[in-house]
This record gives sequence, structure tokens and C-alpha cells, in this order.
Amino acid sequence: MLFNSLTFVVFFAVVVTAYWSMRSWTARKNLLVTASYVFYGAWNPPFAALLFFTTAMDFWLGARIAKARGRHSRRVWLVASVAMNLSMLGFFKYGNFLLENFKWLMAQIGVAYQPPHLDILLPVGISFYTFHSLSYTLDVYRGVMSPTKSLRDFVLAVSFFPQLVAGPIVRAGDFLPQLLAPPKPQTGRFLWGLALMTLGLFEKVVLADTLLAGSADRVFGYGGPLIALDSWMGVIAFAGQIFFDFAGYSTCAIGAALCLGFHLKDNFRFPYAAIGFSDFWRRWHISLSTFLRDYLYFPLGGNRVGWARAAINLVIVMFLGGLWHGAAWTFVVWGLLHGFYLVIEHTLRALIGEKAWADAFAVKILLGLVTYAAVCVAWVFFRASDFTVATRILRGMFGGHAHGDAILATREMLQIGIVTFFMILAHWSLREISLEQAVERLPRWVVTAVWAVMACAIILNQGNSNAFIYFQF
Amino acid sequence: MTVIVVLIVMAAAGAWELYVRSIGYAPTLNDTEDLWTQTRRAVQPESLVIVGDSRPLFDLDLDELEKGLGKRPVQLALPGSCAYPVLADLANDERFHGTIICSIVPGMFFAPGGPLLETSEKALSRYRKQTLAQRASHHIGMFLEEHVAFLKQEDLTLERLLMRLPIPNRPNAQVPPTFPPYFQTVDRERRARMTEKCAQPGELQTRIQQIWLPLFTPPPPPSYVPIEVFGPNMGKAVEARFQDTAKAVDKLRARGGKIVFVRFPHNGELKALEDRLNPRARDWERLLNDTKVPGIYYEDHPELASFTCPEWSHLSAGDSVEFTKRLVPHLRTALQL
Repeated sequence: MLFNSLTFVVFFAVVVTAYWSMRSWTARKNLLVTASYVFYGAWNPPFAALLFFTTAMDFWLGARIAKARGRHSRRVWLVASVAMNLSMLGFFKYGNFLLENFKWLMAQIGVAYQPPHLDILLPVGISFYTFHSLSYTLDVYRGVMSPTKSLRDFVLAVSFFPQLVAGPIVRAGDFLPQLLAPPKPQTGRFLWGLALMTLGLFEKVVLADTLLAGSADRVFGYGGPLIALDSWMGVIAFAGQIFFDFAGYSTCAIGAALCLGFHLKDNFRFPYAAIGFSDFWRRWHISLSTFLRDYLYFPLGGNRVGWARAAINLVIVMFLGGLWHGAAWTFVVWGLLHGFYLVIEHTLRALIGEKAWADAFAVKILLGLVTYAAVCVAWVFFRASDFTVATRILRGMFGGHAHGDAILATREMLQIGIVTFFMILAHWSLREISLEQAVERLPRWVVTAVWAVMACAIILNQGNSNAFIYFQF
Repeated sequence: MTVIVVLIVMAAAGAWELYVRSIGYAPTLNDTEDLWTQTRRAVQPESLVIVGDSRPLFDLDLDELEKGLGKRPVQLALPGSCAYPVLADLANDERFHGTIICSIVPGMFFAPGGPLLETSEKALSRYRKQTLAQRASHHIGMFLEEHVAFLKQEDLTLERLLMRLPIPNRPNAQVPPTFPPYFQTVDRERRARMTEKCAQPGELQTRIQQIWLPLFTPPPPPSYVPIEVFGPNMGKAVEARFQDTAKAVDKLRARGGKIVFVRFPHNGELKALEDRLNPRARDWERLLNDTKVPGIYYEDHPELASFTCPEWSHLSAGDSVEFTKRLVPHLRTALQL
């Protein structure tokens, strides 16, 4: 079920009404579990069983880890949990990718191996809910949290419908404590939730799908060489589209959760105002970057292990971060490119140290623009269907196709330019504060007008319900 | 504040609704992939099915066909599409052994790829992969579309409104041609009827006529494929379509199914363009010859050739009923009913 669908409007209205009408906290939680499984099963009912299976297994394994005596046996149960989760992910998401690469490897040593093509349907959101669930056993193992005694609560923590299929990646340790006592109904919080849902839908339906997606699709789908202007426009359009698409989903999820009395942490913090790549990853898909930081980068030694080892750690983390996004080498290159950027940044910081001139506004702006441009270059690999397309787009961007084709209409370029300008302006204006603080500072009539305009624009787009890009991950 | 927001949104939506009704829009369904999927699901093993482009969608009256042929037809024709993927889908559907009325517009039917083929493939993909949530949204959407006039995906979305802005393009920009605005109503059986505004001479009719010409003109060969490669490749693709169509027809017939090809009326400059790009002897006659399928070419029958398409490509709602009545005897003969 998509947030930007009529089914969700009806579903959400029914769930919210029923939820706040119930007095019993247990009944409310049961309702949310049922609603979450209906939400998920509306895509493909059998996959709801798979979701329940992995959740129940992690619930049981979490209890085993907590009960185990001795570090070794605790580790055995953790390995079982990690292996179970990653093998599910590996089979459904990476099965064909691994077979294709094995075939290629065999061909390199002269063996003509033809693997069967596995007709595997990817369960929606498997990368997200696997991480929701995995965070539980990892945190129980680390001693960060005690295991819950309620399977129902854990099922709800993993499957809570606002964040189930496309994040934010909510750790069980952040969500389970919220299930201990019922939230009190608060009108202000509920309305803020609705406002966030409107903003999220506006970002997705109007900005991403209507104003940017078409141009990005045409540029990345074009079979020939493009001139620099069209190549850059297509890439910049995608940079905006992916932000509004994913941040829009996260904002909707946070808003929907808030309407039900739950707090989910921010997943984006104005990333296109980042100065440097460490800053970018503190602002982009925060729930994934902190997950990888806490469960992978730190256990590998983080940056306390010398320059070379820290650089390798960064590259490993970003390599896996890239692969998490999709079973293709283009995603791996995207991740490695970001790893490479981070290594360069860390090295430069070590060499240059803290300098007063680095705090000058002009320098910050310049560094911010360099960061944005480098992030855009990396997006080419994220969006391109293969390396041929990525190479063609990059060549176009850097003047390699002076006599290439021009395919974008002036209107499309104006849309991209205007949306990108205001997006970057907004990110820079708000980079030090939260959205809530920014809204509090505005006069009420401005907030009312903006909210109404966003709602009208969503209605004007009627039924324009492309799937969210991150669903495929 | 929330109450004010709701009031503003309701007032704006109400004003927009009144405005679009005042300029000729009326509530009608959007002809979406979900509506097509719903119709595709209605196909029974012995159904009478219409496939093709927008011409049979406008030109065939389902009531008259039911009266004349004894079965309520299922309307699977898709505007702006190549009919072959749908034809092949029915031929590959082991359950199906009914009758197909297939419209042929050679420029569309023999399209080697691109948007015409994608339209059919997207609809088929939705049919195969439609989720329960999409199905539910479709039913809620139909209810709304039957009551609200501004819910016109092909014309009144923000994107379409922006496309209307008169902003000139770069002289060398390869920008896709414009699509026609709203000029038909569609019901739950996908019966399309041309609006009266379009059926009468006027600005809308002239605008649509002028939109067909670039839409029916094949795009220039891509700059990045040498012409000596592009030409033969196109030739091979068209040749393959003839062969694949013959195979699909054979499959269907092997199960006892029947099929007839129909060339629907079109006129004006559009007819001149189609005749020039796809000479009858080269495409239509060869298709009949290769497949041994009976064909009905409207020009061969004075009672069918006497209709005029107001915007050159489709019959008006009134004419479509009469046209269908006159077509039925030819269909009965061709299908040996």
C-alpha cells in the first residue's frame, strides 16, 4: 500500500479512528499489528508470512542471547540471527546477482556454466525490515537493551506500518520502550503529524514525481550521447527526485507514526547543505548511516585504528552500504565512490587541521557546492541501469559529447532549475535547525497558507501514484 | 489553523471543479491501466474481445455488437498503443478460445518499440502484477472520477497544466510531440464516446487534428545509430512482427479461436499521411495474406466509408452506433457466425 494512494487514505482514516477510539492499550497494539500486516499483505499476502517468520525467529534468538551464559554461546546465537537475516536477504535480493557473477567468474577460467535464472520476487521492503529486526538481536547481544517478553510487541516494532517498507530504519531499542505505556492523545502532536504527512506527500507527488522524475527518466533512458547541459540537468533532476522521494516517504512515515502517538527519529536533515561527506552522511538516510556506523564501522575499529585501517573500514562500510541499496555493481560503485570521498575528506582534515578560514561563509558555501557536485556525480551510478549508461552520462557532463543531442524541453529545465534552487536555498537556511523549529518561527498565516497550497497541489496531481524509489531496496 | 486549511482546500477544490465544468469538462473515468486490468480480468474462455488502438474504442458500440453477434464484447483496445502484445497475450492464454476483433493501424501495429509498445506492455504488466492495494485504489478512484470533473489524468494534472505553458524550446531539442487533450468519456466497460464539443467544428477539433499529424509521423532516426544500421534493423523488426503475428494467430486458431482484422475509418490529412507512410498493399494486404485472417477495410464498403471522423481519427458517439450496426454483418461473414 502506497502512502500516495487512495487505499492508504481510507486505511489510515479507519486505523486512526479505531485506534483512538479504543481504551485498552492491548487492543490498540493488536489493532496496529493487524493493520501493519494488512498494509504489508496488500502487496503480496504470502510475504507477510515471511515477515512474521523472520520476526518470530529474531524474537526467539534474542531471548536465547539474553539467557546464554558465556560470551561464546551468546555469539553463537547472534551469528545464528545474523546468518538467518542475511541469508533471507541474500536469497531474495542477491540470488540472481550472485549466480550471474559466479557465471562470469567461471567463464574467466574457461568453464561455460549456465546457472538457472531464479524467478524470485523481491519482498517489498525486505532490506528495511531485516535491519529493524536485526537491530534487536544485535542490541541484546551488545547489552544495550533487554529482550522483550512480548512477541506481539516485537512483531509490532518490526512491522509498524509507517516505517515497515521504506524506513526510517527504526531500531527495536528505540521503539519497544514506546510500547510500554499508551501515548496520551495530544491534538497538537496529531495535527503536526498530519502536517508532516502533507509535506511528505507534497515532496513525493509534486516535487519528485511531477516536476523532476520525467526529466531524469528521459535523460537516463536516452540511448545516445547528450550535451553537457542536458546531462547535468538530468543528474540534478535525479538528485532532487531521490531526495524528495525518500525524504518525502520518511516525512510521511514520521507524520503517520506521530498521528498514532509514536516518535520516529529524523531520517534526513537538509543534506544538500552538507559541507563535506561526513556531514552529508550525518544528514542523509541517517537511520542507515547510524546503523552501519554502530553495527559495522565501530566494531571494525572505526577511526581509532590508524589512518590506513580507518580508510579501509570506511570503504568496507560504504561498499556494503552501496550493496544494501541494490543487487548491482552500479550500486557498489556508488557506495565505493562515497567511501573514496570520505577517505579523501578524512585525509585532508588530518593534513590541514582546523583553520579559521574554513569557517568563513564563502568557504563554507564553496565547500557545500563541491560536496553537492560530487554527490551528484555519484548519483549517476545510483540511477544508471548499467555502466554503459553511467559512462555516457558522465562523458556528457564533462563535455565529452559536444555534438550530442538535446532532449529536454525548456519548461523541464526551468522546473529542474527552480526546484533545485529553492531546495538548496531551503537546505542552507535550515541546516542548523529542525523543521519543527523553523515552522515555529513562521507566522501562523504563512504556515496555514503553505499547508493549504501543498494540499491543493497534491489534489491537483490526482492519482499520480508512482511507487517510492526506495521500495525496490 | 487546521480548520482554516481544510476550508481553503475545500474552497479551492470546489472553485476548480466549477471552473473546469464551465469550460466543458464532465465527470468520467480515466482510462487507466487498472481499468484495463479490470476489463482484462473479465475475459472468459469464449469471450468476444476487441483489441487494438483507440479507433475501436471510440468506433464500436458494445450494445450493437452484443445485439448483432450475440455476446457482450470485452473492450481491450488501448489508445496510443501497438495491439500486438495484447494479441499475443490472448494467443498465449491457454484458457482463451474465443473471438478477437483486432483493429489495425499499420503505423502502430508494426511499431518496433517505443511508447506504442510500452503502452500495451505496461497494461499487461499491471494485469499480471496488480496488487490488492492497487485494486482497492482503483475502485475508490472510479467512484470519485464518476463524480468529480477535474479528475482528468490526461488533461488536468499539474504536469499537464504545466505542459500547456507556451515556453519555446531550443531549436535543436528533440522534444516529444504533444498528446491530445480531453475529448472523450469512458465508462466502466471502457466504452469511449467522443464529447459533443469535439464532434462539432471548432478550436478543439482543429487542435486535435493538428496534434495527430506529428503523433502519427515516425520520429527521425536517432542521431547515434548510423542510418545504414537503423534502416535494416527497422526492416527486420517489422518482418519479425509479421511472423510473430502469424504465429499468434495460428496458436489461437489451434485452440478453436477466431480473429478478424479491421481497418477503421479515418480521413482528412491524417488519412493521406497514413496512406503515404503505410501503403495498403505493403502492410494490410500482406498481413491478411501471411496470417490468412479475414479483414474488413472500411473503404471497401460504401456503407462503412460514408462516415466522417470529426477530428480525422475517430467517429463521433452518435456515428459510432450506426457504424457498428453496419459493421456487424461484415463481422458475421468474416467470422462465419
